[in-house]
Amino acid sequence: MRNPSLIKEEFLKRWIIALRRCTSLKKNMNILERNKVVKLSADLAMASARNGTTSWSRALIANATRDNDNRILAEQILGPESEILVKRVSTMPFKTCNRRKIRSKRILKRSCSSAIRRVRKTVPRKVLANCIAKRLIQKRTHILKSLVPGGEFMDETTLMEETLDYIAYLRVQVDVMRSCTYC
Amino acid sequence: MNRALPEMSHCLNGPGKCTDMTVLERQRARVRWQQSYLGGSDFGGVFLETSQADQVGNFQDLVVGGSSCSVLDDVGTHSVKPDPGLENGWLELGRLELPNMGFGSGGSMNGSPTGLEMNSSISKTSSCPPTEAQSAPEAKDKVSVPAEKMSSAAGRDSSKKRKADKMQNTKVFAEDDAKYKRSKACAEEGESKITTEQARIKNNTSTPTTNNRETSADSSKENSKASEVQKPDYIHVRARRGQATDSHSLAERVRREKISERMKYLQDLVPGCNKITGKAGMLDEIINYVQSLQRQVEFLSMKLAAVNPRLDFNIDDLFAKETVPACSADFPTIGMSSEMTNPAYLQFNPVQQVAACCGFEMGLNSPDMALRRTLSTPVSLPEPYLDASCFTQLQPPPTWDADLQNLLNLEFHQERSISFPYQPFTGSIEASNLKMEI
Repeated sequence: MRNPSLIKEEFLKRWIIALRRCTSLKKNMNILERNKVVKLSADLAMASARNGTTSWSRALIANATRDNDNRILAEQILGPESEILVKRVSTMPFKTCNRRKIRSKRILKRSCSSAIRRVRKTVPRKVLANCIAKRLIQKRTHILKSLVPGGEFMDETTLMEETLDYIAYLRVQVDVMRSCTYC
Repeated sequence: MNRALPEMSHCLNGPGKCTDMTVLERQRARVRWQQSYLGGSDFGGVFLETSQADQVGNFQDLVVGGSSCSVLDDVGTHSVKPDPGLENGWLELGRLELPNMGFGSGGSMNGSPTGLEMNSSISKTSSCPPTEAQSAPEAKDKVSVPAEKMSSAAGRDSSKKRKADKMQNTKVFAEDDAKYKRSKACAEEGESKITTEQARIKNNTSTPTTNNRETSADSSKENSKASEVQKPDYIHVRARRGQATDSHSLAERVRREKISERMKYLQDLVPGCNKITGKAGMLDEIINYVQSLQRQVEFLSMKLAAVNPRLDFNIDDLFAKETVPACSADFPTIGMSSEMTNPAYLQFNPVQQVAACCGFEMGLNSPDMALRRTLSTPVSLPEPYLDASCFTQLQPPPTWDADLQNLLNLEFHQERSISFPYQPFTGSIEASNLKMEI
């Protein structure tokens, strides 16, 4: 994995720049706005540090720029390179086609699960345990997908990779923010 | 890639019986080479050339097979240069094997120079090396391990078309099923790793991109378009003995192994996952960890927003904090500073969460045992994560020493308080009362 201190420095640098841009934009924000600004700037800072190489970063940027009220703020934060980044993010064709896939998968799952329920009474224990384990894994994967930004549209392998990266990023963020609070 | 090595040792140790396997390895390399240079896929050719194997050729095959399965260097279009350590490791391997094998000396001696030549030629065609950080120790491991595993005999099981040839061989190696199933896993992992490693190296980062992953996933079913990366168009997978050999189950197996490999990485990353085996438990841990990290971020951002009315952070201070983290002398001062800021919190904002948490911090820093007792009870699940995360946070700076304990305690308390926003605030009232009294 990459050097964590390098990531930290990168993140810190971008975050400070982003915060400065925000504060120059609007002074005297109340606490809720500040909270939002802090979070948003941190997210976007890290996402832009990844430069569109990972899926979750793209999803973060896409989400941030989608809502109109955040959009201006986000674009301010990202700064001059925001247009390039947003363009790159939007050209990643992962959302629309996958939505259809997901819908069809859900229909299939529902039909299968009803079949499974009918069969469940007569199957031997081993198979039943297997089914239960599979359901557990499916449910948890679903939860994880909801946690990781942009995770809904990934297959499992990709999801694992993204989770790895995302966890590393979250740790860096927590470390940096904590050290900020001490000064 | 250490796991790929047992496969090598198995190949290398089967004395005349593993001709088929070595030939397959060689064919694999040849096909890849053909594809990359000629742009055609020729599966038929793989199996037609089996009869060409011979004893003398074994060494080249063995060494070549090893190198083809390894992660040596690539075709010219790759941006990363070959890892010289790894190549040397493989060349040494070739040299190592020959004296130890105990074959006919004439054959062995002949094998060596040509083996090395083939090594270098094949090395140009096989897939990309892993990242530099991983490759050096792996090269050393690969060289050292086969010396140990000389004695194990292994044949190779066959794919559909070659079962008839194999029957006699498999009888001898029936007892080694378990071993070469494992080595199969290594081979496949190695191969799937090869494609993913290529993708990694291509982007000069250690995490592969989704594009390359998608193409490598697709390529198991069909030829991918020759994109900017010139890598093999498909993943070579061999069926294990006693398992289904159709393409669907093979691809499924490759996918499963990829996932389990990533799970292993995640095990290292998420604290407390060492004891948990099985996908469901691991997923659970991961989910909990991600949720706790996200909550921490939420809380910290709220705290930052509360503390800094103008959101200006002094960069010099921040960098100083990073490079020279707080040491023993700072322990009382840290306590003091948080006490100082607490009144600011309490007066400054009406947000109950922050106030409660600062009250907690205050309580924890003070030697009030009663308060601690009330606070210690709600601590439950997040603890192990907080422990581990605070340990991991504290690991990198090498300047900390004996007074780490104090600081760890402080960190621990801080972290505990961080998780508290979502706990019932019964303790908060007492804390703030205590604060008021003081």
